[in-house]
Amino acid sequence: MSTLAAMPPKSAPQHGDALKAYCQISAILSVLIVALILSTLILQSGPVLSLKNSGMFSTHWNPDAGQYGMMPMVFGSVFVMIIAAIVAFPIGLMTAIYISETRSSKLRRFIKSVLELLTGIPSIVYGLIGVAYLNIWVAEAFDLQSGRIILTAGILLGIMILPTFLTLTEDAISTVPARFRENAKALGLYRHEIFKLTILPQAKSGIAGAGLLAIGRALGETMAVMLVIGSLDRLPSPLFNPLSSGQTITSKLGREVGESAFGSAHFSALVFMSLILVSITIVLTIISQYFLSRKNTYV
Amino acid sequence: MFKVVNKRHFTEKCFAFSTRFSLLICASVLLFLLGSIAIQGIGAISLEFLFTPAREFGKSGGIFYQLFGSLLIVLVAALLVLPIAFGTALFRNAYNNNLAIAKIMDQSLYALNAIPSVTYGIFGLIFFVNFLGTGISWFVGSIILAIMMLPTVTLSTHQAMLAIPKIYHENAAALGLPKKEIIRRVTLPQSFHGIVTGLLISLARAIGETAPIMFIATAFSGVKVPGSLVEPVSTLPTHILELAQQSTDPQALQNAWGASLTLVTLAAIFSGFALFLRRRLTPEGHS
Repeated sequence: MSTLAAMPPKSAPQHGDALKAYCQISAILSVLIVALILSTLILQSGPVLSLKNSGMFSTHWNPDAGQYGMMPMVFGSVFVMIIAAIVAFPIGLMTAIYISETRSSKLRRFIKSVLELLTGIPSIVYGLIGVAYLNIWVAEAFDLQSGRIILTAGILLGIMILPTFLTLTEDAISTVPARFRENAKALGLYRHEIFKLTILPQAKSGIAGAGLLAIGRALGETMAVMLVIGSLDRLPSPLFNPLSSGQTITSKLGREVGESAFGSAHFSALVFMSLILVSITIVLTIISQYFLSRKNTYV
Repeated sequence: MFKVVNKRHFTEKCFAFSTRFSLLICASVLLFLLGSIAIQGIGAISLEFLFTPAREFGKSGGIFYQLFGSLLIVLVAALLVLPIAFGTALFRNAYNNNLAIAKIMDQSLYALNAIPSVTYGIFGLIFFVNFLGTGISWFVGSIILAIMMLPTVTLSTHQAMLAIPKIYHENAAALGLPKKEIIRRVTLPQSFHGIVTGLLISLARAIGETAPIMFIATAFSGVKVPGSLVEPVSTLPTHILELAQQSTDPQALQNAWGASLTLVTLAAIFSGFALFLRRRLTPEGHS
């Protein structure tokens, strides 16, 4: 707490109180908003949860027949997230190592600011790039009729989370004091050994935080995924076939929320999926905050 | 390929190679992303494109009302978020002594940051559009974007307030200034840069958001300047969405690129301004 908080208000109680009241109201509002959002979602999930034969755990989504199987969407979200992590994590980690090892602080600052620029590209623009290029390249590479498949969505998402993961990982590696590096070097260790033996043990909590935050972003990403995933409400067959079209929770929400009638079981099923998604991303973020704050880095 | 001296040496070479190779991949992805947006976009953009309304469902004509709608929605959102974020940060720094409350406030802000954008859209649709009965309204879009901007602006203001050297407060208190005077003469001017940069950074993010506003605030065509708070507008992101879905039509695709470059440029202007002001406004003695 700052010193200001410790001081008792001295005079002008009327104005001081008005200012204090304004601050309290703002603070209460900003805490209540989260509660309001979550309780709204929970309340609206009611109708589908009270349905007897909603079949939420099945694989059939057909609102007209009262079937609300959410498994294809949940599976799609997880699958796409895994592909994104496979694309982004190794490249991000190795690049972060390179950047933090380089001696030129100018180059480092330049790369950092370019990465900031990249995180500023809106997801709908990534979607457009996916539709205009990636889509077609993937279709050609695998000789498919359409490139709107799980793999395309995964790669695109991997590209999207790469800057976030890269900067946070680089922060984690850079905060390891230089003397550890120097001592290890003086012992005659090679760079990969220095990284494995001295840097990684100290940076791993920061890197884990970066990874969790990145996959949290990946799970919640809507527009880009929605445009390239093909929107097919079925489990791929065979199950882990990245070349089939799919659906994630977010792409489902983006496509169908506008079409479903408010208050219907269909709408409620969508809200419930959104609630599942929010719960996962909030938990991921809180865990990642824990990891990141342990290394005194911040988002 | 490599001169193999021993196993350690070989591993070292592989390690060095893979870090360089990764950097190369990152750089080419970056060049490709920025290059494709710039090259495709410049081909589509002209003064006429920016200042004429869309025709034929966006396939021809420009993006004037989309540009207007996007700016309207985010600027009003910034006005809405400003007092609440400032009040929350001030409460946290000047009035709250309770560690538990501080923790709860931090966690709520992190949670707000973690909520996926599409969920904000659904919340807005349930709470405002249906429960409060506003219907599709640009102002509801502004409120939702303001909620999304809240964590960034609050945390940035909070950090700036934390960075004010303690001695400033102590000196002001020693002069016998009452608390509200200290806030007015020390806290506010000394943390001003945090508010402004936080606002600009969150503006840069908010202007590109599609999912939160697509159910609640926008209509695709036939929209002009709204006459009241409860009318829809068109925005750049939702416009790009519609055009991207007709991606087989080259004309639609070209306009989508033009709108994308406009959007990315606007976001870059906001964040560039934030970087510039962060340097200019940060008072001496701050980290």
